[in-house]
Amino acid sequence: MARWGMVIDLDRCTACQACVVACKVENNIPPTGADVAGRGRSISWMRLARNVSEHGEGAAPQWIPLPCMHCENPPCVKVCPATATMIDKEGLVAQVYPRCIGCRYCTTACPYTVRYFNWKKYDWPFPMEQSLNPDVSIRPKGVVEKCTFCHHRLQLAKDRARAESRLLAEGDYVPACVQTCPSGAMVFGDLDDRRSEVSRLAESPRAFRLMEELGTKPKVIYLSKGE
Amino acid sequence: MTVTRRRFIGLGLGAAGGAVLGIQGGRILSELGVSMQLPPRVPGGPEKHILSVCRLCPGGCGIRARCIANRAVKLEGNPLHPINAGRLCPKGQAGLQSLYHPDRIQSPLRRVGPRGAIGSFTPTSWEEALQQITVRLGLLRNQHRPETLVLVRGTSRGLGARLATRFMRAFGSPNDVSLYRGDEAASQALELTQGLRTMPVYDLQSAEYVLSFGGALLEAWDSPVYAMRAYGEFRQGNPGRRGKLVQVEPRQSATAVMADEWIAVRPGTEGIMAMGVAAALVAEELYDKEFVLRRTHQFEDYRDTQGNLQPGFRTLLERDFGLERVSAETGVSVNRILSLAREFAAARPSIAIGPRRGPLLPGRLFEHLAAHLLNALVGNLDGPGGVLVPEPVPQLPWPEMPADPVAQAGLARPPLVGAAGNGLAPVRSDVESLAEAILAKSPYGVEALFVLDSDPAFVSMAPALFTSALEHVPLVVSFATHPDDTALLADWILPQSHPFEAWDLDTTPPGVPFPLVSLAKPVLPLPQYDTRSAAQIFLELAKRLGGETAAAFPWPDVDTLIRAEVRGLYGARRGAVIGTSFDEAWVRMMERAGWWAPGYRSEDELWQRVEETGGWWDPFYDHWNWGRVLQTGSGKFEFRPKELAELAVDRWMKPLGFEKKTATDSRSESHLALLLFEPLAIAGGLGAQLPFLQEILDPGYEERWESWVELHPETAESLGVVNRSWVRVVSPHGSVRVRAQVSHRVVPGVAAIPLGLGQRGGGRWAEGIGANPLRLLSPIREPLSGLPDPGATWVRVVVDGTTSTATSTAVEAEKS
Amino acid sequence: MEATTHSIGADAALLRPIQKTTWRFWAFSSVLVGIWLWGMYAWRTQLGSGLDVTGLNVPVYWGLYITNFVFFIGISHAGTLISAILRLCNAEWRRPITRAAEVITVLVLFFGAGCVILDLGRPDRVLNVILHPNFRSPLVWDVCSISVYLTGSTIYLYLPLIPDIAILRDNTDRWHRLYRVLALGWKGTESQQRILNRCIAVMAVAVIPIAVSVHTVVSWVFGMTVQPMWHSTIFGPYFVVGAIFSGIAAILIAMAVVRKVYHLEPYLKPIHFSNLGLLLMVMALLWFYFTFAEFLTTYYGSDPSHMAVFSSKVTGKYAPQFWTMVATCLVIPLGFLANRRTGSKVWGCVVAAVSVEVGMWLERYLIVIPSLSNPRLPRADVSYHASWVEWSLMASFVAFFVFLYGVFTKFFPIVSIWEVREGREHALSQVIERVKRVLPGLPEAGQR
Ligand SMILES: Nc1nc2c(c(=O)[nH]1)N[C@H]1C(S)=C(S)[C@@H](COP(=O)(O)OP(=O)(O)OC[C@H]3O[C@@H](n4cnc5c(=O)[nH]c(N)nc54)[C@H](O)[C@@H]3O)O[C@H]1N2
Ligand SMILES: Nc1nc2c(c(=O)[nH]1)N[C@H]1C(S)=C(S)[C@@H](COP(=O)(O)OP(=O)(O)OC[C@H]3O[C@@H](n4cnc5c(=O)[nH]c(N)nc54)[C@H](O)[C@@H]3O)O[C@H]1N2
Ligand code: SF4
Ligand code: SF4
Ligand code: SF4
Ligand code: SF4
Ligand code: SF4
Ligand SMILES: [Mo]
Repeated sequence: MARWGMVIDLDRCTACQACVVACKVENNIPPTGADVAGRGRSISWMRLARNVSEHGEGAAPQWIPLPCMHCENPPCVKVCPATATMIDKEGLVAQVYPRCIGCRYCTTACPYTVRYFNWKKYDWPFPMEQSLNPDVSIRPKGVVEKCTFCHHRLQLAKDRARAESRLLAEGDYVPACVQTCPSGAMVFGDLDDRRSEVSRLAESPRAFRLMEELGTKPKVIYLSKGE
Repeated sequence: MTVTRRRFIGLGLGAAGGAVLGIQGGRILSELGVSMQLPPRVPGGPEKHILSVCRLCPGGCGIRARCIANRAVKLEGNPLHPINAGRLCPKGQAGLQSLYHPDRIQSPLRRVGPRGAIGSFTPTSWEEALQQITVRLGLLRNQHRPETLVLVRGTSRGLGARLATRFMRAFGSPNDVSLYRGDEAASQALELTQGLRTMPVYDLQSAEYVLSFGGALLEAWDSPVYAMRAYGEFRQGNPGRRGKLVQVEPRQSATAVMADEWIAVRPGTEGIMAMGVAAALVAEELYDKEFVLRRTHQFEDYRDTQGNLQPGFRTLLERDFGLERVSAETGVSVNRILSLAREFAAARPSIAIGPRRGPLLPGRLFEHLAAHLLNALVGNLDGPGGVLVPEPVPQLPWPEMPADPVAQAGLARPPLVGAAGNGLAPVRSDVESLAEAILAKSPYGVEALFVLDSDPAFVSMAPALFTSALEHVPLVVSFATHPDDTALLADWILPQSHPFEAWDLDTTPPGVPFPLVSLAKPVLPLPQYDTRSAAQIFLELAKRLGGETAAAFPWPDVDTLIRAEVRGLYGARRGAVIGTSFDEAWVRMMERAGWWAPGYRSEDELWQRVEETGGWWDPFYDHWNWGRVLQTGSGKFEFRPKELAELAVDRWMKPLGFEKKTATDSRSESHLALLLFEPLAIAGGLGAQLPFLQEILDPGYEERWESWVELHPETAESLGVVNRSWVRVVSPHGSVRVRAQVSHRVVPGVAAIPLGLGQRGGGRWAEGIGANPLRLLSPIREPLSGLPDPGATWVRVVVDGTTSTATSTAVEAEKS
Repeated sequence: MEATTHSIGADAALLRPIQKTTWRFWAFSSVLVGIWLWGMYAWRTQLGSGLDVTGLNVPVYWGLYITNFVFFIGISHAGTLISAILRLCNAEWRRPITRAAEVITVLVLFFGAGCVILDLGRPDRVLNVILHPNFRSPLVWDVCSISVYLTGSTIYLYLPLIPDIAILRDNTDRWHRLYRVLALGWKGTESQQRILNRCIAVMAVAVIPIAVSVHTVVSWVFGMTVQPMWHSTIFGPYFVVGAIFSGIAAILIAMAVVRKVYHLEPYLKPIHFSNLGLLLMVMALLWFYFTFAEFLTTYYGSDPSHMAVFSSKVTGKYAPQFWTMVATCLVIPLGFLANRRTGSKVWGCVVAAVSVEVGMWLERYLIVIPSLSNPRLPRADVSYHASWVEWSLMASFVAFFVFLYGVFTKFFPIVSIWEVREGREHALSQVIERVKRVLPGLPEAGQR
């Protein structure tokens, strides 16, 4: 069984936010506007976390692309009363929209604040609905959503591999954000596959996980800046 | 009656039942009509992938559109494409929001009401529109005044733009004007030193060290994806070695945040800083003596054409750029300048980059020149990891135009812009001079104006000036896809098809060394609306005008033209379709021996392969081809100490270096140097119109949907401005209301405002959001280059008392 | 024996509210129902548009509803828990006050649970918690413990009501059938009485751990996450203490109102108030002790993410609320209760109690919102301001609770008639017995 994980090299990342937009387009995030933004309600499964360093003036800000960490010990899954978020058989932290009661316990429990809530029913002004991705369901009002590691792409990749009667190969399953990253900062694959690029990078001395100390065991691994 | 145990249990169950009923109540209620709507289902269908070119900016990325049931549902990069190798920038990712924008113009529009509002237009037919416009144009030709037609172009390189240019020549007007591309001064620096008016290309990927004087490499740089890919490799692509980036500039741009070091200099002193580094290199004898000796001219004192002894570059440095003086001017310590010079000399190849391209800093010739000289000092010209000169695309020349006396007479008239001769080639990208000429009606009035692929009423350096100039033009035709600011001022809007709906050919984007041709295919089977491609429109216009004008366009349709162009590549007998893998050394050897094995054997096969892969390129750069890259009179790289000295005078400024110019700017009431920057997401005219791009406006701040001005904490304090409060930024030319952003990311004495917001049109997500700081600029021109220098704008920042809770700031021009 | 059980004699005053309803009651009820209806309109709005109509945002995903949930559940500790403890301790002064307290519990629990329903994005799917329960979720623990508590408290309220219902059955004309059914054929025989007393005693024992568990579990909703200033081992007892604290205050207020409105001064004497006041004071000190311990530990740990929440409360954005909380939970109640002149007066106790309610609501608010506003990865500074819908629903819940409380007093005696009577008849001798048993130098009676 693969252990899907992502590496984000902060030394390559330019904070361009192509990943942010790619994710929105791929995953049918609704276009909203100044009003929704002003109320702090925007949905962005991938976002740039801005950590303005507290030490001293003029210290360089840190900008970190932040998807769901797909924790191996996810605080969100533990607290969900209705089993609407769980670790699926591929090891991804999945979200079952029809089951979610919208209590937003998971959103408050996730230490990375990467879960989002559908405050209302969103619209795609005509003809924008034309660009909706048929592989990703549109979320109803009142449920929570988050980065899925584009698991629909895993499904498609598996179907394709099966149709070609072969095994899933490295690079068959690539999330939208990883695919677009201009600087090649993001790499995705099987962390347990010794030959995969992710597993190699995950061993780098520059590798670290966000808030490792919380014991959430994220499967998103960052590489720090520097040699 | 006694309370038995059974009763007890019964009681308990009853209570539990009650509790459940309470919960059931919610269910019942929801079934009583307040139930939640089910989300719509997205229909599926057959899947297709279509290769095309992005064209939402000049970057030139290849795209691969995923289409389901003839709807485009996702754009990805074309994995074979040499510019982006499957990657896209945020604007490209948001491209479908532009294609499916709800406010697109859906048919030709004729203005019936006052200028400036979408409500003033009424739909019309192409026949009607083209007919009427042809009549007006025909009249100009009959009156032998073809020069009174003006074309204003944006940055696109497509067939539409090329046919529009040809149309102007065939029609007989020299007034083919484009917007500032921002590369003017960088090109002039190359023109002065290497004798070529072309944009330099930096081979970042292979560089060890990059010293950037305000070059926003990681933002809206030339071809952004190409640059970011190169940056990724520069940092971590070469095992065992990591490129180092040092950014010298007054505002800590996103590039400076990513850089290893940000050296904060006073605004306007980047060039002096570069000269300081040069002085240190020379004083410590760290420069590449061999290269300087063999390939450069004017390093030492030299004799000019009259035979007089002139001071050379070394003398200039020693005389004018003492480190103490440079340090005092820039605010950077002598030690830091020295250590920078040492690092720069030690880590080879090392590149210096000027404050490019500063779209709104089209001037800054001094800075570009100074930075470029550093490259020559370390001998980093035309080698791997150095400064390259792009190779042109081999194109078949278009057929000669038939002799046409009307056109020839018109073309002989003085052009409205770019006439000034100052030793350098004329600059045609100057919409501001155009506006002035239109208003002055000198040397002649303008009767008709076409606006193609651009929104000068919003993006030019003088939006208000341009707007009032348009009022003096009787016929304004816009080819906009969206109701942008300029389109709203037009008499006719002939909507071109969206770039994703039309066939086109794109060529090498700026910042890329190799020749490239990409085929743009429509991603939808049919345009969504009653629109036509710009190429179609100009072919049609020419045909309708008839006579010699029509004869200049021998192609029956765009399709034929595109195929003819691709055929031209076959004739070049070099290069290959993109995605071909080859062994460089082998191919080179074969080519030298006169063999060329491109993987296609006929023109038809080439066409077919280009359709399959997305384009053609010639990947091999011929390094150190001195004959090609050094075309100066001396055949060497010229240090130009004379021009430098002249330009430097203009840059020795006190305090903050603006003293000299500010005389004209009523300095007394102005305090801060205005600094504009172009966030990647909304660079150029397109961007703010798309909601996903508004959401990521700037990496430094979370979603804003408003404009802001960055002020250093000290500056803010002295002005009594608190973070996130509303302020008014006032220049002698206008004022904008923006939110204060107190930040250590700018040096004191600077007011930095992002570009891209403050549109009047642009549809629901752009209209009325933020403010356009271009309205603040002072129309001051640099000496020598003749280019506008926005660095010369001084502004005041005053607390805005009006209590408005609106999130958007209206664009306001107090004076225009 | 029977005759005395079923007649009311000296305690006729206790039946008067049931027999006679003044226009004031109707007027006041109309106002309350009006507020409630307004709240239902707000709810309708929310069901239609979703939680969009609240002031919640990212990352402040929880606001007034969850604050009220914790607050109401806390209040619910008033009745059952306190009455059970007092009963088990044989505190004789408890007799006139237990009923008033127990009713609070049962009613307010519904509103507490209701707050969670309000907070759901998909209230229509609430049964998913039962259909697909995740037993690792503290919210599921909550559902379990609150249902058990509700059941237990209802029984615990009902059992001591039975003899009084029988009295009503025998002495009033209205709702005769209702009373007959509810009285379960109570005749007041000795065996019935024995069984009843046994049951009450069993329930009193059972209900204490349940009550403690309820608020512990509520605290674990927060404590089981790893969020700054939520993830704390102290939260269980801290919440229980806070709950009892606010619960006692609620009893005091309810008692004062009932006393005033129904002229029950002979039953609810200043001594009842000052006794409860003393308890309240003890709880205030305990509450302060916990709060102090919690904040001091956080401060000394000075984990940056915890400190962000800490300073937002103590010196930052939430400082006004924080210091109001300290004043209203500690300074004001202590000031009034520790002073004999005010602490022994009814009004003095009531002022302290009202102050505590305000303070404890703020405390709940300050637990929920600041932690959410200061996530580990900072976000844009978006403030939470509750919307009219949230405030309306809060008001409607309070109003409806008061209304239902009033309705209860119109059906059942708010002071337990039989217990008061029993106290009058037997307590004195029992107390003497007890004292004899525990103190030396007195002749021991009834040796076993
Ligand atoms: N996605 C996308 N990319 C694009 C484009 C697009 O439309 N979209 N457009 C392309 C085009 S046409 C262009 S011209 C380029 C523009 O690309 P850039 O030249 O990178 O444009 P800016 O971001 O405006 O960069 C100007 C920088 O100069 C700084 N600056 C301003 N004043 C001063 C000064 O006095 N001194 C110094 N040292 N710095 C100063 C600003 O803070 C800013 O960081 O982008 C290209 N790339
Ligand atoms: N506010 C603001 N003003 C600016 C700038 C800024 O960043 N912000 N940048 C400045 C700079 S550097 C420049 S170069 C200018 C750029 O300004 P313009 O030259 O006006 O270029 P853009 O606004 O980037 O985009 C031109 C339009 O043409 C369309 N287009 C591009 N290629 C094609 C094509 O092949 N076919 C068709 N049909 N359409 C095409 C694009 O979709 C876009 O809508 O603006 C300058 N002014
Ligand atoms: S796309 Fe890549 S480079 Fe851009 S912000 Fe995301 S991770 Fe960084
Ligand atoms: S990052 Fe948050 S949402 Fe994602 S698995 Fe971890 S706890 Fe859950
Ligand atoms: S909001 Fe949905 S997914 Fe999150 S905890 Fe509640 S039921 Fe589970
Ligand atoms: S993996 Fe997919 S869902 Fe997650 S952030 Fe990337 S694009 Fe979005
Ligand atoms: S860089 Fe330009 S061409 Fe490339 S994807 Fe972005 S907008 Fe399109
Ligand atoms: Mo540009």
